[in-house]
Amino acid sequence: MTNDAAHGPLLAAPWRECDPARTVAWQTDAHAETPWRTLETFQSDVGAWQATLDAHAKSPCSWMLSTHDPYRFGCALIAAWERGDHVILPADTRPTTLEALDALDAARLGDIPGGLTASDTPHAPRWGTLEAARIAVTLYTSGSTGEPQRLDKSFAQLDAELAMHAALWPLEARLTLSQVSHQHIYGLLFSVLRPLCERAPFAAEMCRYPETLHLWLARWYAQTQREAVLISAPPTLERLPETLDWPAVDGILARIHSSGAPLPRNAAEHAQRLLGTEVHEVYGSSETGGIAWRIQSQNTGWTAFPGVEIRDDAEHQLWLRAPWLSTPATWTPQADRVVVEGTRFQLLGRSDRIAKVGGKRVSLTAFDRALGELPDVRRAHCTPLPRRDGRLGAIVELIPEAVPHDHDARRQLIQALRAALTPRFENAVLPRYWRFVEAWPRDAQGKLGATCLSRLFADLDDPRAPRWLGETLDGPQSARLILEVPERLAYAEGHFATQPVVPGVVMVRWALHAARESLGLHGVCRDMTRIKFPLLLLPGERVTLTLDVTHDSPREATHDKVHHRAHNNAHDNAHNDAHKNDMTTRLRFTFTSQRGTHGTGTLTLTPQEGAHHA
Amino acid sequence: MTSELEQELKHLIIDTLELEDVTPEDIDPDEPLFVEGLGLDSIDALELGLALQKRYGIKLESDSDETRHHFRNLRTLAALVEERRTA
Repeated sequence: MTNDAAHGPLLAAPWRECDPARTVAWQTDAHAETPWRTLETFQSDVGAWQATLDAHAKSPCSWMLSTHDPYRFGCALIAAWERGDHVILPADTRPTTLEALDALDAARLGDIPGGLTASDTPHAPRWGTLEAARIAVTLYTSGSTGEPQRLDKSFAQLDAELAMHAALWPLEARLTLSQVSHQHIYGLLFSVLRPLCERAPFAAEMCRYPETLHLWLARWYAQTQREAVLISAPPTLERLPETLDWPAVDGILARIHSSGAPLPRNAAEHAQRLLGTEVHEVYGSSETGGIAWRIQSQNTGWTAFPGVEIRDDAEHQLWLRAPWLSTPATWTPQADRVVVEGTRFQLLGRSDRIAKVGGKRVSLTAFDRALGELPDVRRAHCTPLPRRDGRLGAIVELIPEAVPHDHDARRQLIQALRAALTPRFENAVLPRYWRFVEAWPRDAQGKLGATCLSRLFADLDDPRAPRWLGETLDGPQSARLILEVPERLAYAEGHFATQPVVPGVVMVRWALHAARESLGLHGVCRDMTRIKFPLLLLPGERVTLTLDVTHDSPREATHDKVHHRAHNNAHDNAHNDAHKNDMTTRLRFTFTSQRGTHGTGTLTLTPQEGAHHA
Repeated sequence: MTSELEQELKHLIIDTLELEDVTPEDIDPDEPLFVEGLGLDSIDALELGLALQKRYGIKLESDSDETRHHFRNLRTLAALVEERRTA
């Protein structure tokens, strides 16, 4: 491909250049021999991936790619693209997500069960052709407004948006630090493709925790005396702790980006105060790419990106045209409502969401508002469920004192909520399935997406499953899940004649299942020790399941000495994957409720050969 | 005191309507099934009518006064099943 002036930074393919010493990625490991991965290394890593891909498939094909760290992601992506391949990016790595995508007949690459990895030996890379119209990646929406949607992006679309960002906010050799998943459009563009195409370095690994950010900023500046740019999202910025010595790294960050959901104003101020620079928020979607940006401390209105044309209609719905849409010349409506004010616009929120219940049209937005205004309710979200009965589900965040802990309290609360809605809504359209949470369930993008929704209501279709009401990951090896025992749990009946209870063996099964879903722990249970079930667990009861994983290994992983603090949403199964096979894993579980401890024990797991697709 | 048939009907109602927050003990045989009490609605009435037909072979006019009478509470429903069951 020639370096045509009409091309943006992606189609120019700057990773092919002969500039071996150019720095591509910064090694985050303090003990690395050199702090850099150069273009020469990158090219040979691309070649090593291509050797693996060539051995698996000769002709251009599709791959399903997911990695923990941005550097390996970049290598695998370029390797596939240069072969003429197309890459599918799963939105998350949950078994159900991956199994659904297996239907697309794309082999798995990277840090997912059964994923192929780069060849161990260096290989020369092969450069192909990036045709502008070819589909480069397939992404999936988070599904916060319905089923996850498949979106194909051509090289031309990615190229046009990258060119715009490079002109508006040039990286100019600053380091890119990513706290977001590159499996979604924002992270794909900002965390990987922008630095790669703008010839600026990016941190080889994801920067998951505030302590890591602090450490890396200090180390980066000491090594280079250069600035950095942080690619972040609301859940992370909201939770920056005051306790770190932020003044020590003041001035190193030149810019912070946030996207995925609007950043609450106080969180924007909090982040700016601690990190010493303004948050440049990006508003957009997987469908549209970037639409507009703002710096909230200057103006709450959004400014359309250069090249984006916007207008609103009589219903305040946003319409736009942008060079990186699949149909750039067509005005496309968005689900968001806006008020255009000169060169800026204010976001009013989503257009009313409408669902049909029993043949009647109901506004979900009206339900959300009515519930949200009730005492004890912090926030509510009603949603149609993919079920035959067409009934609505409601997710309700309550103040802690109002959270029901047993069957009677839950039933009374539901009756009270239904009674409060009855004057305004017909009985038949009221939500039937209620999920009471203490913290709003969000995915890593800060959204209550389809994955969260399906977990919240999974027990409806699986009479053996507990009701999942949220989880907190305390680092990669431990999790706390909030569960409720469904009244209709298949196991509860018939254990004792008079009193339905959850049998102990079911608690063990739940712990194993949760460890797989939440911590990515695979394996076969070989042994159980210190198992106790001191207190009966009853239908309707709310329990906290605590999971702690330890690996017994001849060599302890030393590459990650960073202290991990409690952190929401950081889906992090990254560590120790490479060494898993020579390890025995111990899973300690505890079920506790307000009444006390219901079950506790330690399970010993050994790796399960070839069971990845089970 | 709840009869065996009433117990059976409680399970039928809970399973048919997938009432996730209701256990058989929560259904008072004398309490209204619809609106107040158990809080069932018109869609549930249709579902319940179908279930009665399937399980006991009872056919009901969907929107008649008679049906409304039978569906008043668990006792009236049990009486209906006793009287008209063919299966």
